[in-house]
Amino acid sequence: MIGGYMGKILRVDLTTGTLKVEPILEEIAKKYLGGKGYAVYMLYHYLKEYESKGISPAEINPLGPENVLIFATGPGTGIVGFPSSGRYHVMALRSPLTGSIGSANSGGEWGAFLKFSGFDAVVIEGKSEDPVYLAIINGEAELRNASDLWGKNVFDTCRILTKKIGGKNTSVACIGPAGENLVHMACIVNDEHRGAGRTGLGAVMGSKKLKAIVVSGEQKVPVADPEKFSKVSKRCLDIMRKNAVTGEGLPTYGTSILINVINAVGGLPYKNWQTGVNPHAKEISGETLAEKYLINRRACWGCTIGCGRVTSVKSGPFQILYTEGPEYESIWALGSSTGVRDLDAIVKANHYCDEFGLDPISMGSTIAAAMELNEKGYIPKDDLQGLDLRFGNATALVEAVWRTAYKAGFGKYLALGSKKLCEIYGHPELSMSVKGLEMPAYDPRAIKGIGLNYATANRGGCHVTGYTVSPEVLGIPEKIDPLTPKGKALWTKTFQDFTCVVNSTVNCLFVTFALGVKDYAELLSAVTGWKLTENDILKIGERIYNLERVILNKYGFDGKDDTLPKRLLEEPMPEGPAKGHVVELKEMIEEYYKLRGWVNGVPTAEKLKELEIEL
Amino acid sequence: MSKVFVKVMLFATLMKKYKTEELIVECDGTLKGLIKNVAKILGEEFFNDIYDKGYDNIRKDIIFLINGRSIKDLKEEVKLKDNDVISIFPPLAGG
Repeated sequence: MIGGYMGKILRVDLTTGTLKVEPILEEIAKKYLGGKGYAVYMLYHYLKEYESKGISPAEINPLGPENVLIFATGPGTGIVGFPSSGRYHVMALRSPLTGSIGSANSGGEWGAFLKFSGFDAVVIEGKSEDPVYLAIINGEAELRNASDLWGKNVFDTCRILTKKIGGKNTSVACIGPAGENLVHMACIVNDEHRGAGRTGLGAVMGSKKLKAIVVSGEQKVPVADPEKFSKVSKRCLDIMRKNAVTGEGLPTYGTSILINVINAVGGLPYKNWQTGVNPHAKEISGETLAEKYLINRRACWGCTIGCGRVTSVKSGPFQILYTEGPEYESIWALGSSTGVRDLDAIVKANHYCDEFGLDPISMGSTIAAAMELNEKGYIPKDDLQGLDLRFGNATALVEAVWRTAYKAGFGKYLALGSKKLCEIYGHPELSMSVKGLEMPAYDPRAIKGIGLNYATANRGGCHVTGYTVSPEVLGIPEKIDPLTPKGKALWTKTFQDFTCVVNSTVNCLFVTFALGVKDYAELLSAVTGWKLTENDILKIGERIYNLERVILNKYGFDGKDDTLPKRLLEEPMPEGPAKGHVVELKEMIEEYYKLRGWVNGVPTAEKLKELEIEL
Repeated sequence: MSKVFVKVMLFATLMKKYKTEELIVECDGTLKGLIKNVAKILGEEFFNDIYDKGYDNIRKDIIFLINGRSIKDLKEEVKLKDNDVISIFPPLAGG
């Protein structure tokens, strides 16, 4: 067995109810690691197989039995001492939200416990007639009837199945009503409050009538060189403990501490990105969350950072006695983007996203788009059915989340995501999305590099594909000017490639605030027994990014789609430190394509050859 | 050098430590003059939170903004003006 791997992939055909165990192939693992990388490799081969049968990628229905869903861990996942390695990655052949490849990542315990159950990855094909859940317990897997769970929310589903399965290291990843109702921004939630949030993969699970995957086990992940690993691990964890961000900043305040600083640089999108300055940022900031709502911290499995927040709203109409989060992104999307300044309501809306299984970024952004459409008079009153969607309306925000999960009233339009919503009402320019995925909490008119990343990110408007905010605002690993487009192409490419490695390892991206490529090379070498250099690591990342791009190209996405909403390219920032700025995308993207070896968003044959990608 | 009045805002652990969100500070328009005067109000330890060990430069890991622009991105020597807003954040991150 290769170090770091359990050596097994579980392939489940829901249509026939058959389960097969296949080996992890070392030659593929060496090229693509695990997690996202291995999943991208498998998805590419599914597409190839479909094409050989005469089914073109465009014919794949994201909510049809032909879609494939992959849950994958990597060689770092579940190893004690491998920094923050409780995570897993989920991918789908096609996202219902974007029409392109689906991709999401989640923390908690599920990723580690999948490995303890004896498997590295689970591949889901087909579609079940009746609701089922998949139980994977100590190397044995079976499909079980889930009719009595269908309709239940995430919290109840997690609690019922955890109790039913019992045992040590038991964790549930499931969908709530939003996934069952095929809401395009539905997510997969594990451990009650951790979500594989983006690109609507909860709806894919719902379309397959797969309510949950419960994992449980006590198997140990092998390590090729335990002595060497122990040394490297100790050194890395020591760096993380001493690092001001991973050792103090994130543990103390969690992610929402970013609200004030991003607002201060003029990059906190407000009221559907009409400006980057929120006059009420303080009221929804991490400092306020810590002072008035925080009751505890909750770390994911094997994490020394512990950025997770346990919170409550003590009284009032949005009272909630126990919840987790909201994260920076959720506060921004549900709060700043919608103009809502009542943090009680934001905490409640975020809680509903967890309970019903919704991506808070796409949810908040879609509500914000609807608010702008409504304020400009583009939505007929009858369609709204009494939902008073105006910027700043806290009650409407909370109501809109509930309605979306159940497609109730106007919720059936919100459930389509902002792109389709804005198209329906004749104003596609008001959807603040890229490739159909709503952008997260940074206005690139104030932080230029993140604009290039949004435009070129394979899964669409995503910050964690290449988080250039780190050098541009936070000064990690070094400070660069956020207001210049110069030099951003190389930063973006490097971050995108390295992040592929993180998501294929699979551990937490926050580790990279303290550790670099060299540390990953040493950690992964010790675990797997392979001799990986820094160059090998970045090449693996670049290979994954390029193969994922090849899949995008097959769906018809290319340079024309590597762009940003018109508002960011043409409407100058009206106020703040970035006043007068737009995103100089053309300049950045030309340099980026050159560095990538792409022509018009398509990898060249030479580049694919260089990366040893066999098509 | 003429006197200027600027607004200093503290965030996260700095806000908590000094129990101060913002204060109006009089100074000579230089960065050192400003920090010196803030330290007179908040205590000498403020120097350690802002400057590196040699007291020559602003600490590399903190985020120090003048009107929303990081001092690390400003090309010219800092000359503070009346009503400038100074935002100081300890090392932090998220995503």
